[in-house]
Amino acid sequence: MGKVVFDVQYQTTLAFLISYYFYFTGLSAGSFMISTLSYGFGMEKFKPASKMGVVAAVLLLLLAPQFLLMQVGWPIKSIWNHFVYFNPLSAMSYGAFLLMLYPMNSVVYGIFMFQGNLKMTKIFGLIGIPLALAVHGYTGWILALGVARDYWNTGLMPIVFLFSAMVSGISMMILMIMVRDRFFTKEKTINHELIDSLAKLLGWLLVVDLFLVFCDYSVLLYSKLEAQEVAHFMLFGKMSFWFVIVENLIGKVIPMIIVMIPGMRKSYFWLILAALMNMAGILAMRIVTVYGGQALPLM
Amino acid sequence: MSNPHKSKNSDLPRYGMLIDLDRCVGCHTCEIACKIENDVPLGIWRSWVKEIEKGKYPDVVRSFRPTLCNHCENPICVKVCPVNAAWQREDGIVMLDPHLCVGCRYCMSACPYEVRYIHPTKGMIDKCDFCSTRVDAGLKPSCVEACPSSARIFGDLNDAKSEVAKLVATKAVSTLKPEIGTGPRVYYIGLDPATMEIKREAKLVWEK
Repeated sequence: MGKVVFDVQYQTTLAFLISYYFYFTGLSAGSFMISTLSYGFGMEKFKPASKMGVVAAVLLLLLAPQFLLMQVGWPIKSIWNHFVYFNPLSAMSYGAFLLMLYPMNSVVYGIFMFQGNLKMTKIFGLIGIPLALAVHGYTGWILALGVARDYWNTGLMPIVFLFSAMVSGISMMILMIMVRDRFFTKEKTINHELIDSLAKLLGWLLVVDLFLVFCDYSVLLYSKLEAQEVAHFMLFGKMSFWFVIVENLIGKVIPMIIVMIPGMRKSYFWLILAALMNMAGILAMRIVTVYGGQALPLM
Repeated sequence: MSNPHKSKNSDLPRYGMLIDLDRCVGCHTCEIACKIENDVPLGIWRSWVKEIEKGKYPDVVRSFRPTLCNHCENPICVKVCPVNAAWQREDGIVMLDPHLCVGCRYCMSACPYEVRYIHPTKGMIDKCDFCSTRVDAGLKPSCVEACPSSARIFGDLNDAKSEVAKLVATKAVSTLKPEIGTGPRVYYIGLDPATMEIKREAKLVWEK
């Protein structure tokens, strides 16, 4: 109605570095879950992926917090203060502890796995599952509890984050296992059965992920004005290329179709393409959620 | 150790502000006074006046919405701060402890009023604190002092005899976004809803 003559521009706060942080913790949590499928839950067909999964989980979780430290104004002070001045009401406060506990547990779990101690591997794998859920779920809570932003402030946010973590983790594992089997083993052949099971799992998780996105947007579009505006911004506004095309079409729908059709899933060309598209789409999802969720000025 | 700012004491004042927009002329003096008093860097404001123009000639009007920290009764920033750097004084003023703040910016994105900013040289959050040093010395905040039309009224909401408490009790006042449940303690008389319109588009960071 009115034309703005003077207003102060909101400084965008949590942007790309935080998106990368979320992306890498997601990959880490996803690959950790793959590694526990065989040792923790007895799904033997995923066993060849376990060792690679735990190594990837640890390395990625050492990388991820570096983006967080680049984002904050006072990196060293932030490490100290997060441990000393704990605020039980803040989701971010728990993060510092999770980011310490989860890689430590993963290292112990990995050491037992490489030693072949099945019992201890199972115990630490099962301890690691809630930690992996928490270390990535809490990032969803950080956004969900930033109550000012309607795009973030939904109970679905931690769940959406967990599912996107799992799909991107599986895509990364598919690619890594292919490279390992093809180039770094004596047989130089790819383990068909493992890749196929992972691809099937990826397909069903993508179905759930798309369903969660649908739930989220159907509620946003019927909700109060601010939520409607942000949903329009994502679906038809400036963010629509990143949200609709990159995140959902390239990142989720096309990979889902590829892995759902048996003929295409069996072809390594299509499967590699699907995994790459999915990984790119989930990175776009992090940027759309973190940056897009707060790009609209509130008042 | 966890929260160095906690203590309980009643019988204290509860500071609040009333902005009478029937008196506001949109001169932006409060903005400048705040910048001078608090040494706020260029491009950033602790308190500012949003100005809009609406209607069609000859029926046009300019509406103003002076914005500052609402010093909420139930501040989100204090809840979400991971290191207890955002804290609330017993008299209700929401403060920022520069010894604790690490500049993670979580409070900025959680604040429904967008009144927090990142200080470009200090690398930590900064915000309006009702000029707490002036208030402690018995003075009014500098924006209140500078307002040429006395549109800003500052005082103790707990003291029934203070001007601000009387006006809040007897006038039709409104607050910004009461539905979020933060309990803002900056009240407005004659606030134009058009100054709070939500935009559908934004300039993205990668756009020129």
